[in-house]
Order: sequence, then C-alpha cells, then structure tokens
Amino acid sequence: MSSEKRKIAYIDGKPYEIGDHHTSILKFVKGYLGDDKVPTLCDDPNLAPYGACRVCSVEVALVKDGPTRIVASCHTPVVEHQHIFTNNENLTSLRKNIVELVLTDHPMTCGTCEVNNNCELQKVANDLGISDHRYNNPKQHKGIPKDTSHAYMRMNLDHCINCGRCVRACDEIQGSFVLTMSGRGFESRITTDNDMLFGDSSCVSCGACAHTCPTDAISDIFKSKSADVDKKVRTTCSYCGVGCNLEASIKDNKVVSIDTPKETEVNAGHTCVKGRYAFGFYDHPDRLRTPLIKRNGKFEKASWDEAYDFIKKELNRIIKEYGPDAIAGISSARCTNEENYLFQKMIRAVVGTNSVDCCARICHSPTAWGMQQTFGMGAATNSTDDIYHADLFLVIGANPTTAHPVTGAKIKQQVMKGKKLIVLDPITTELAKLADYHIKLRPGTNVAVLNMMLHFIIKAKLYNADFVRDRTEGFEKFIKEIERQDVDQLAKIAGVDKEMVKEAAIAYATAKNSMEFHGLGVTEHEQGSKTVMLIADLAMITGNIGRKGVGVNPLRGQNNVQGAADMGCQPHQGAGYFNVADEKNQKYYSEKYGVTHPTKPGLKIPEMFDAAINKQLKAVWIIGEDIVQTDPDSSHVIKAMNSLEFLVVQEIFMSETAKLATVVLPGTTFLEKDGTFTNTERRIQRVNRAAPPLPGTKPDGVIVAEMMQKLGFNQASYDADQVLKEIADVVPFFKGVTRERLGEFGLQWPVDADGTDTKILYKETFKLGKGQLKNFDWKESTEITNNQKEYPLILTTSRALQHYNCGTMTRRTNNIDLMDEDILLIHPKDAAQRDLITGDFGRLYSGRGKVDLKVEVTDKVKEGIVFTTFHFPEHMVNMVTGHGKDEETMCAEYKVSSVEIKKISNRFEQNEPKEHQVQVK
Amino acid sequence: MSKNISNLSGKVGLKHNLFQKISDNVLKNHPKDNKEIANEYNLGVSTVYGAESFYEFLRPSHREKKAFVCNGSACMCAGTQDKLKQTLKAKLGEDKVGSMFCLGYCYENNAFHYNGENYAGKDIEKIDQILKGEKIKQDKFFSKSYATTSFLMDDKLSSIKQVKEQLTKFLKTDKKEIIKSILDSNLTGRGGAGFPTGMKWDFCSREKVKKKYVICNADEGDSGAFSDRYLLEDQPLKVLFAMIICGYVIGGDEGVLYIRGEYPKSIEAINGCINELKKAGLLGENILGTGFSFDIYICIGQGAYICGEETALIASIEGRRAEVDVRPPFPVTEGLYKKPTVVNNVETLAAVTGILINGADKFAAIGNKKSAGTKLVCLDSFFKNPGVYEIDMGTSMKKIFNEIGGGYKEPVKAFQIGGPLGGVVPLSEIDNLNLDFQEFSAKGFMLGHASVVSIPKDFPMVEYIHHLFEFSAEESCGKCFPGRLGSYRGKEMFDQVKNKTAKIPLKLLNDLLVTMQKGCLCALCGAIPTPIMNILKYFSNEMKNDISA
Repeated sequence: MSSEKRKIAYIDGKPYEIGDHHTSILKFVKGYLGDDKVPTLCDDPNLAPYGACRVCSVEVALVKDGPTRIVASCHTPVVEHQHIFTNNENLTSLRKNIVELVLTDHPMTCGTCEVNNNCELQKVANDLGISDHRYNNPKQHKGIPKDTSHAYMRMNLDHCINCGRCVRACDEIQGSFVLTMSGRGFESRITTDNDMLFGDSSCVSCGACAHTCPTDAISDIFKSKSADVDKKVRTTCSYCGVGCNLEASIKDNKVVSIDTPKETEVNAGHTCVKGRYAFGFYDHPDRLRTPLIKRNGKFEKASWDEAYDFIKKELNRIIKEYGPDAIAGISSARCTNEENYLFQKMIRAVVGTNSVDCCARICHSPTAWGMQQTFGMGAATNSTDDIYHADLFLVIGANPTTAHPVTGAKIKQQVMKGKKLIVLDPITTELAKLADYHIKLRPGTNVAVLNMMLHFIIKAKLYNADFVRDRTEGFEKFIKEIERQDVDQLAKIAGVDKEMVKEAAIAYATAKNSMEFHGLGVTEHEQGSKTVMLIADLAMITGNIGRKGVGVNPLRGQNNVQGAADMGCQPHQGAGYFNVADEKNQKYYSEKYGVTHPTKPGLKIPEMFDAAINKQLKAVWIIGEDIVQTDPDSSHVIKAMNSLEFLVVQEIFMSETAKLATVVLPGTTFLEKDGTFTNTERRIQRVNRAAPPLPGTKPDGVIVAEMMQKLGFNQASYDADQVLKEIADVVPFFKGVTRERLGEFGLQWPVDADGTDTKILYKETFKLGKGQLKNFDWKESTEITNNQKEYPLILTTSRALQHYNCGTMTRRTNNIDLMDEDILLIHPKDAAQRDLITGDFGRLYSGRGKVDLKVEVTDKVKEGIVFTTFHFPEHMVNMVTGHGKDEETMCAEYKVSSVEIKKISNRFEQNEPKEHQVQVK
Repeated sequence: MSKNISNLSGKVGLKHNLFQKISDNVLKNHPKDNKEIANEYNLGVSTVYGAESFYEFLRPSHREKKAFVCNGSACMCAGTQDKLKQTLKAKLGEDKVGSMFCLGYCYENNAFHYNGENYAGKDIEKIDQILKGEKIKQDKFFSKSYATTSFLMDDKLSSIKQVKEQLTKFLKTDKKEIIKSILDSNLTGRGGAGFPTGMKWDFCSREKVKKKYVICNADEGDSGAFSDRYLLEDQPLKVLFAMIICGYVIGGDEGVLYIRGEYPKSIEAINGCINELKKAGLLGENILGTGFSFDIYICIGQGAYICGEETALIASIEGRRAEVDVRPPFPVTEGLYKKPTVVNNVETLAAVTGILINGADKFAAIGNKKSAGTKLVCLDSFFKNPGVYEIDMGTSMKKIFNEIGGGYKEPVKAFQIGGPLGGVVPLSEIDNLNLDFQEFSAKGFMLGHASVVSIPKDFPMVEYIHHLFEFSAEESCGKCFPGRLGSYRGKEMFDQVKNKTAKIPLKLLNDLLVTMQKGCLCALCGAIPTPIMNILKYFSNEMKNDISA
C-alpha cells in the first residue's frame, strides 16, 4: 500500500494506521495497545457492539487540539485524522462513577465468589481503584433465588450486571433465543423463554452464555470460570467432525472443566453441549481399568503382559492355521491420526492383511469414493469459514444444528441475516424451518431430486459454460442424459413440488456463491455414491468449485473419521489413499514399512460380518467401535461376532461389542492422549494430553505399538510426534506437517513441504485433471421393493444434539438428564391410522427385529416416514435396520428401512427376552 | 440490537407486524401461547416474553387497573391529580386506579384514561355517565396560527379531494426536485435532534436497496406538548400525505405510524383517514395509475416513553424490546427490519406537506437557516390563553407568553420547555429568549417540542427534581448502565430528601448528573440532567436547607 493511501488516526497523540478490521475505536485501540488500555464490561469481541456499559468511553477530537467529546469507543467508528484520548481525568472519573453505580447493585463478596480473580467487573473496578460506593442505602437486587434447575448451567442473578452478553450470545452465536432481558429500567432482569427456570427452558446447553458472562451470574456446574486451577490445556474436541478447539482446566491432575479458548479459527470461541460439558465420561467409574480375558464365558482381570501374550498366541495360531486374511481390524474414528496409522500398519505390515476398515464405511465412504471419481480427492473442497462468503447454502441430508452444532449455528446465523437456503430433507429440521426452499423428499429419492435440479438448470441454460468447457469432461453425454429426465415423474416419485425444485435449482445456479453441505442423508443409501457424484455435477456445471464460499462439503460425523480414512484404515486404500491392489503402491508401502505389503484388497466391515458367519474370518480386532449397537441389523452383527474364534476389543467402557470380546483392552479418552485429529475441512489439529491415563489404562497408540513389538515387529515405543513424522513421510498430503507447525490452529491438507496449507481445493485444476461429469438414473431402493408391502413405513435414523452415536460417552454425563430415551417421530396421518398419540408406546418392527419406543406425533416428518435416534442400548434401534448398502462402497442404508409400527400398552409388554443381551458374569 | 430478530420479524413484515401481534395477544388475555407466536416468526419464546414484559400497558399490574390518571408534569404542577385520583378510587376501588405518563391535556389538566378513552378538564364531573359508557361532550384544545404563512394549520390539505389533487401533482414531480424543495426550506427535524429533513430523505433515496420504509414517529410523549395530538386529530391528511410523498421520493412502498396508546383519539382519526385514502385509491397498489404503490400501517404504542427515540421505536415495531440501539448504522441506511428508513416526527411531516404546497422559499424566509419556518408551541393551563399555536421561528418568548398566551393565571417561577428532557427556564430568562433552537441550547436549555409546562411559585423544586428522576427511572429502557442505575439512584436520593431522611449530597449529585450526561447512550437519561442542573443553578437558594453542608 502506498503511503498516501494509508489512513492514520492518533491514539494519545501517536499516529497509527487504520486497518480494515478496525471497525470501532475500541478495536483500533485494543489492536495496537492491548486489551487493558480501555476498560470494558459489556463488550465481547465475538458479539456485535452494544454500547451498554459505557466504561469504554474515550474522548475524541476531529483535529489536533480541536474540541473533544466523549464517545463509547465500542460502537464509534474510527475516522481518519481523529485524535483519540484513552485516559484523562474526565474519563477516569466517568468510568469510576459508572463502575461505582454498578457496585451499588452488586454484592461485595469477591473473596467467596466462584469467579474471584477471573471476574471482569472485579478487574475493571480494581484497575480503577474503586472498591466501594457513596450512595445511601441503595435498593439492590439481592436474594433472587439461585437457579440450579439446569443439568449444566447455573444462574445467580444477584451477581448480574445487566450487560446483556448472555442474551446476545444466545442470539448472535448460538441463534437459539432462549435468554432475554425482561422488564425494563432498574427492574430489568435476565430470564429464559416465557420467564421459566433454566432447566425447564428450551436451552440447548451450548454454554455460550456462561462463557461470555463477565461475572458468575451465569456459570456452570464445573465452575469453568474459576481461577482456582493448576493449568489449562488446549486440545481438540472428540465428538463431531467440526473439530472445535477446547481448553481443559486441570486441577490435581484432573480435568475439572472444559471451555473454548478465546482465540480459535474453527469454532470462533463457541462449542456445543457435548464439547463443553459432556466430558464427565472421561473418569467415569464405568471406565475399564484393567485388561480382561474371557475364560469359560466369563471375563477375568489380567495384567497387560498376560493380555498381550494371550493375543500374541491366538493371533499366531490363527495366522498359522488359516493365514493372515482370517484376521481383520476395525479402527476407530475417535482415535488420533497417529493411532489409526499405526493400527492399519499393524494389520497390514505385522498381521499381513488388508482387511482393515473404519466407521467411514458406514458414514461417508460414498462421499470419499464419489468425490474421488469426480474430483480426485475424497474430502471437503472448501473450509468451514467459507460460510461467511457464501450467498446460498444447499444442505442435503444433514441436520447440522443438531449433529454439527457449531457449523450449524454458523449457517443458521447467515441464513437469519438473509443468505438463501435450500434444504433437501424428509424431516423439518431447524434449518429447514428457516429455508427458502425446503424440499421435503421421501428418503431414497435424492438422485431423483438432484436429477430434477440438474435438468432445470440445463433447460434454463443457467450452467456455467466456461467452467464446463475449461474444467470438466463428459458434458455432451451428460446434457443428453439430463434432458431426457422426466421431471414430472421424478417429482411424483420424490413426493415434492416440481415448481419448488425448479426455483431452488435456479436459485442455486444464479447465486454468486453457492455452497453445498451434506451429511449421511446423502450417503447412507443404496444410491449414496451416485448421489454424491450428482452433487459434484451440480457444483461443476454451475462453476461452484475452486473459490471461496462454494464447493461440495461433506459434514464429517466424527472427530477423526476424515483422518482414519486418510491414514489408510480402508481395505482397498492404504495411508494416503494409494490403491493397495496396485503393484507400484505395494512396493511403495513395502519400502516404507520395511516388510512385504499384502497384495489382496481386504474386507469391508459388512464383508467381515459375512465372512465371520461363513467361518472364513476367525479373528477381529476392534478399537473403540460399538458395532453391535451402531451397525445395521444388530442380530446379524452379534451372530458374526459370536462366530469368531477370537475378538479383541480396545475400549474405554464395556460396550455391547466389548461384551462379546475374548480380550478387552482398556484404552483412554482423547483427554489422556497426544496426537492429531483431522476435521471435516481437512484441518489437522493437535490433541494435547490434559490428564494422565487413568491407572490401569493405556493410550490406544501405546497398546498398538506394544503389541507390534510383541508380535516381533521392529517398532519404536509409541511417541505421537515420531509417528506423525512417519506419516509425513508416507502420506504425500501430510508432507510439511510437523507438530510445531500445526501450532494452535492446525493446518489444512494438502500441506506442502514448506508448511503451506490449502484452504480451498481445485482452484486451478482437479486432482483428476478435469472434473468428471457422471449421470445416473434414479432407482428404487431394494429395501423398498422387497419389503414395502409388508412394512409400508420408511424408518430413517439420525443423531440428537445431546447424544453422540451409541451414547457410550454422552450417556455417562449429565446429558442423560437432557435426553434419556430415543423417541419415534411419526406423521399425524400415519399415527391416526395406527391409533397412536404422543406419549404412546409403539412397537417398531421389520423383518430383522423390533424395538419399542415412545411416540411423538408431529408433522416434522413427512407422511409415510418415521424417524428416531439410535443412542440407547435399552432400545437398540438397529435391531430393525436393514441390509441395504451403497452399491459402490457398501455403506449401510440407515436412512431407508421398511418398517411397521403397532401400538403397545407400554414398553414392558415384552414376550421374548432380548436376544442381543449377552450375559456378563 | 438483534439483527436476527429484526430480520426474522422483517421476513413477515408490517402487514402481520410482530409487535402488534404480541400486544394484541396480551390485551386479549393470551388466546395464543407465546410459543405459537414465536414459531410463526422462527423466534424464541423469550423474544415474545422479553418484548411484552417491557411495556407498561402489557404488564399484569397495569392491566388489573381500570382508570389511569395522568402523571405528566403539567397535571402535576396544576395540582389537580390527587383529588382526581381520590374521586376515581372512590368510584372504582382503591386498587383500580393507576397512572399514565401525559395524556396530552396539559391545557386543562384533570386528565385521566378510562376504558380506552381520555377525559380531562371538567369531564370528571360526568364520571357517572362515563362509567355507564355514555358518550359525553368534551372540550377541545384551542388552536390558532400566528405565523406569517401558515404551513401547519391552514386548510389546504383537509379533504380527500385536495389530497388527490396534490398527489396527482407531486407523484409526477421529479423526486430530486422534491428533495431540493425540502432542503431549500431549511426544515430541520421537529423531534429534538434537529437534523435537516431534506438530507435525511436524500440519504435514504440514495440507498440501493429494493425495500425501504417510512416511519412517522407519533410517540413523542413530552408532557406539555399536545402539538402531535393537534396534527394527528385535526390535520391528519398533512401527516399521511407527507408519508406517501416520502415513500415516493426514497423508493419505499410501506409506511407505519407509531402512535402512543395514550392518544386513542389520534389513532381513531388516523385510522379513519387511512381507510378513506384507501377507498379513494390514494393508498395501496398503483396510486392514481402512476405505478407507485404505498401502504400505511399503524402501530399502537403500549406505554413506553423511550419509543419516541427512533432506534427504540424501530425495535418496538420489530417486536424487539424497545431498547436504544447504537448508531451508526443510522436508520437511513439500516432502519426498520434493517432496511433504509426515514423516521420523521409528526410535525416534521406536516411541515413537509406545508412546504410542498406553499413553497420552500416562504418557509425559509421565516426565522434563520438553522431555525427556519414555523413551529407549533403549546401553552399549558397556567396561561390565560392555553392552546396550541403556530408561531414564526425567531418570535420572542416574551411575545409568545404575554401576548399570545395572555400572561399567567397565577404566579409562576419557571417553565420546563421542551418536555421532561428540556431545560427549566426561570421566569427571569424568558425575556432574553426567542423561539430558536440554537438560542435555547446556547443558554443551556432545549427548545425541543416547544411545549411549555409552567411551574407555579409555590411548587417545591426538590419535588420537581424528584419528579424528573422518577420519570427517567420509570421510563429508562434499562440498557445503558448510567441510565438504568443513575436514574434510579437519583430517584432514591430525592426520595430521601423529600421524606426528610437525608439531604442532597451535592458532590455525589453533581458526579451523578455529569456521569449521566456524558455517559448515557441516549437522550432520555442523558438529557434529564439538563433541567436538574438548571434548577440547581437557578433555584439553589430555594433548596439550600435541603443541601448537606
């Protein structure tokens, strides 16, 4: 920038340059002179300027020595040549007098206060040197009952200074409108909903209010704002794929509370109920604390050496008797990159088979595969931050406000501010309610609706001809196939309004930047991979690829499911996605691992089950996956596990799967680990050990490394940094990754040798050179064609906000007080036909099994569709889900199960014992 | 300052206005669950509850009362209200009489509100008829123009036919020419801030946004002022005409009048006119075949003085709590529902009409550049000729009080001019003042609405200060710290002085007043120190026994 163009303003007589981000005098002053130069009480950098407390007042003059006036710096713009005075007698007395007024209505009991020494009011008052007030017998808001009704939050309004930060955080960050100020003037007071107790309100427990509250007026049961801690450790959340940065407070070697650091790139100082509050599982009494070996159907405690020896003996026996392909491994998306890398290395290089898979199989394997076929890489093309640069969002089969709450909140904020939104979902999700176009399609018809959208765009000639010509291949054939689509017929099939689809398609094609997000409502279908490829088509023909604010962006469900696949926990691709059937790649891996790499592609998870039942597979080693509860058709999974000769489960709790194991090894949680996770936007972030492993447990990486040594492999003792170094050597897109370079905010792969990372993929060219346009016709799911007559309803399952998958972790926290059962949603018409009303118990059944659930009648679900979650082993919803699979990747078709439901008098109307409940003696 | 609530409320818009929906629901005893309303707008229940709990008229404590006596400054100084209250209590029950801040009957006092109607003066004598629900004949305020040219009180726009003629003319006039006229007239906003009206319209017309709004601020509840009532009830077409023209000029298709609930007759008058204009095709789609469409809605205030402040007024219409927002952004760029909006007060709009019809040059010729044209002045019941008068800017106050007002009925010592936030001018200073915004400000007063509340000789100034603090404590929106806490602490301080349990701690009082003046977010709590400081300056002798040594 040339010197003439620089804009200068003066702070206390010294010149400073005004930057674009200096949107107020306060930001300008703080930017150059630090946070303490001007006191504030109602300001939070993550919230819009509010101008309530007025202690940030400064004096300004438009010219040097000109007349001054006092303004609140937080909402007054900084202008060129302005002279800002941050401190003088007038300002000090103004600030003192305001804080004095605040103290007239605040108890002076700092010594016993929860936030003593971490209170913004205390600090401002101390800095101004005031500790008392001069007013005679002022009325105070004293004795307001403390509200302890909430599972996590605490409200103590005697200490409230009415800064409104909690209300604004609830609105501007979370977008939930649960908190409000009520009344007016001196009598104004914070409350929730319709003036209810916190615990009875519609609060989603994100904790943003407690996080921003400058005093302890809103706090939490963990006293997360207390200064009485030994240290704080920054780490990365282990729930969903958003990858929130967290800060764990440690006291006496224990994690006592979790908050988010103020400075974060991924989560902008926000996180959800799971990340912030649901950590109590980490030292729960149920944690496994010793290896267990099952002898005569009964688990016996064992030492680590005993367990290792036992495993070694069994594995060696099986390899000797049946060969290495009789063994398989299932890795965990909850574990670090380093652990996943090492585990697949053990299965491949030590055991000698490619049969290693991970839970990506049952979530985003179609995304990975589909995007590899069309673009070249199976990962989000853009960054979450691009949300701020998009003009339109297309959300398909995803409920981010529930399953990816921080990203969901960001999208919701943008939509509330006027950005356009298209939602394809059979359920009226929170976002769907706000959508400009909610295309409420029948599950299993994504391909039909996407073909309609493509058709309308082509017909209206709204495709980006330049992009299509320069960047893609196959358009001639594509256009012919798309023109041929019978949109009337497709609309009928999907049960959608043709005109709405048309308008939505045109909106997507004509918005400046259209950004797509999708979840498992896209992938968990028979035509899952095809749906992904059609989404890629949509982005490519409209040119919504390769720049800010656009792209195709899968919302990865688990903290490190991206990483688990990146690290090679897939039977057909090794670390870095090299095809293992390719001789060149086998050589590459053999060189890297120093042993001969297996050549035959391994088994995918569903194939493992079949092979086990067929007695071809004899042993499985599972880390942190409760396949019995989470994979479809639980009876089938149980049968497979029971058919094995040997099952090792590395777990933190005695899960439904662990109960079936021969050997159970107690692993640790992310709070007890070092390493890295890769989030949904390819961001590799550091996981830092916050607490030592519980006595008797070992981090999963340590277990794997020790087992590799035991099995005779030349493996160094586990050191996450060393393993990361090895990954950088093997996986090309990790080339420049080191623990130091990752820093606090992480790096997005591919990372060049010099450490440069990549926020947006395919800016110039696709990994495949040109983008591949593909066509597919819609086809009815086999599940429907085979079973609909007998089971006319379609069950679709998903996650709730409060729980995480099979609930192993969240059920062992106070989240259980927020939600304690799976509820079945059913449309009023379907309910009426079955004589069901809200609160009734219904027996949901299919050809596979049955489950009894409480019913909620709601038009949130489309007619003919029923919906539930799958968090509770008491219910085992997967007893009814089917065998449908994505045609390409075998991803389970959770979103389409043909079912029927009948009313039962109560949930204990049982006539048979639950088969799956394995007795643990 | 919730952008989200503004936008979500704006998605539904004025036609099914959220604030109106919330207040109707409360006034009809909650036929709808608040959650139901919240769901219609995709908002939280708390948004609805937070808003409804803000307004005096929507509170249970208010709604259980039957009659409300005016507790505005003029009625208080007149000393009529205690007796009135007793009479009403005797009729309706001890706990059935509440209060409302200024019903706009400062010229005859004795004002009270019963069953949706206002009464004043001698009306209380007919209380039995009133309680029976009979219509009684009521006196009207006296009004007269003393202006060189009348812009506000003439009858050049008092029929639908005249509106049609003028619209036919002005909807063909170049928009820039209209703006130029208003600029040339030197008209400044009559609501207090004194911003040039033409500039406001010009800025808003330049915003490149499809949707824009016109708001008529008819919520200015300054006691002493009944000029808005005069215009809304006697010259409603002047106000509505200017709103339509404003919509035409800025490129907006909807306007809204936010009228105080304390003024039922004004609401009725405006409503009637809107319906007539609609019937005549002068409001609605494609007015007079010009292709220009414009609709006007009414929002009825629910008892919150702060809604006279433009950002609070916008918040209120949107269904947010009527708290003051920070500026910038100013309403001309981000106003109602975050769309560019012109907010003008009633008198400003009526003046625009007068200027367009009579010519900008005639307006500019009166007074001076910063205080141009004519102004409505309201004189209270202490004058021999109480009423509302149109007077040339620049006229001496002496002339206004002594000749037009005819002098005083009984001895007075001071006047609060410009509402509760205006200065308290001692009698001795009146001879040195002219009707001029700048002159008043230079002397430490504020002309504002040019409403005059007379303070009789025997009225204790300590009580007047108490009244001012009590008013600001009652009406403060509660958002800014110095306003919320300062006004309440000031009230407490004078509670103690009034009941003789403490004397005025002068240093602390001065600190408090400076803190409020310099620190407050808006003029409500930020300007209340002005009259108090005036009193301390001019009447310290009277209060010397109440000041601690």
